[in-house]
Amino acid sequence: MILHVGAFHLDVDSQKTSVWRNLAPQTRILCVVLLVFAIALTPNGRWLSWIAYTIGVALLVLLSRVTLLTLLKRIAVELGFVSTVLLGTLFRQGGTVLWHWGWLSITTTGLMVLGSVVWKALLSLLILNTLVMTTPIPHLLQALITLKTPPLLVAILASMYRYISVLVDEAGAMQRAAASRNLLANPRWQRLVVGNTIGALFIRTLDRGERVHQAMLSRGFTGIVPLTEKPKYSRSDRLVLVLTCLLVLLGQGIYLL
Amino acid sequence: MHHNPIFIHQLHHTYADGTQALRSIHLSVPAGERVALVGANGSGKSTLLLHLNGILLPQQGEVVVAEWSVSPNTLKQVRDFVGLVFQNPDDQIFMPTVWEDVTFGPMNQGLRGEALHYRAQRAMAAVSLDPKLYATRNAQNLSGGEKKRVAIAGVLAMQPQVLALDEPTAQLDPRCRRQLIHLLQNLPLTQVIATHDLDLALELCSRTVVLNRGEIVYDGATEGVMGNPAFLETHALESPLSYSRPYCQIEHAPVRSLISL
Repeated sequence: MILHVGAFHLDVDSQKTSVWRNLAPQTRILCVVLLVFAIALTPNGRWLSWIAYTIGVALLVLLSRVTLLTLLKRIAVELGFVSTVLLGTLFRQGGTVLWHWGWLSITTTGLMVLGSVVWKALLSLLILNTLVMTTPIPHLLQALITLKTPPLLVAILASMYRYISVLVDEAGAMQRAAASRNLLANPRWQRLVVGNTIGALFIRTLDRGERVHQAMLSRGFTGIVPLTEKPKYSRSDRLVLVLTCLLVLLGQGIYLL
Repeated sequence: MHHNPIFIHQLHHTYADGTQALRSIHLSVPAGERVALVGANGSGKSTLLLHLNGILLPQQGEVVVAEWSVSPNTLKQVRDFVGLVFQNPDDQIFMPTVWEDVTFGPMNQGLRGEALHYRAQRAMAAVSLDPKLYATRNAQNLSGGEKKRVAIAGVLAMQPQVLALDEPTAQLDPRCRRQLIHLLQNLPLTQVIATHDLDLALELCSRTVVLNRGEIVYDGATEGVMGNPAFLETHALESPLSYSRPYCQIEHAPVRSLISL
């Protein structure tokens, strides 16, 4: 989510209507969390479970009618980060050695683990991005409160969402200020300045945090975040939740049969 | 309305780094008065405003707001009584949407449901923001003037009896500044306005308090000080533009050709 802040609106598709978007936000969060946990906790190499989950995720993406191109673009960006971490799993020991060069070797186990983990990551990113693209952030935060997340935690998330763009702007302004005074002179100097900019940004963040807190206090904040009314569950919410649970159980159950 | 909402006696404040921000401040503001608090940068204006709302507690001396002496036990009453509008609206508007931010204060007062809705709508109407258009708007996508108005609405929604504003016209374009002046003129509240904008002080406030290095050096009629450029200069201020212009009518301006265009 944070990767995309400042680039464009997060919830590009939240104004459209679809079956998915008629659900209460907390139902959507529950479904997504259930699915992500089920996908992530499935042991490596259980391809049949993932076939079941892939069908589920594909259905969800189709039902939510997100703009596929945007969805794929975001996932491409995120996978770029994830894959650098995942690459390490390729060189695991165990199984038959397929290829080796010096101490590096690719084994069947390594390939299996990499394939499993990549598929897990891809599926999880697909549903998480669908959730973020179809639900405005304030609704998500509300839903978290409805799901009994500690209000203070949600308040921290809310102000993070609000201030990250302010900080991005501030960093941009500092960068421009440096560039306008001919920063590009030499690389070593440039690195020093970037270091200083990051330091200045930290201090500014601290100062701003202090001022924001003062402004909150001056409007009667006592440390407890006030709650608004909760959105209600409807029949379709329950139906979708039951279906998700069934799908999760089916995916896990395939190997028990 | 309380007859003398603000009374400050012998107030001192020293920051942790040793800077003496306020020195024996004595100030009393009767109900309904608009007071301009002017002074150079670092003269203690903001520090004084933070005391009115109990963000800073008196180290020495006393701040009395309505019948409450500002202390940790009276903070809730004090903060409901005095609304503080910060200089940078980005510091103040911290909720994701405008509606959530405007309702933040009244919700802290315990308002819910219909009453909360009414309060927030009245406050937004007071600063001419249409709730239908602005309620769901994202706070970060507003213009500077809009942000300022949202910040003021968030404070007005708490229905304070005293409004303390820190540099209200900083970062505003001339039209937004004009709208803000009209807004403040029509608010029937006691107002304390910290500002560098002496034209604004002249237009809005009958009384001016001049601060220099944490001390009050003038407290009296606004006209009394604005017409005294030598005094203003010793305290690092300048006469308002409306005083320093050598002509009164636009036809008397030195460059005629520009006007005839």
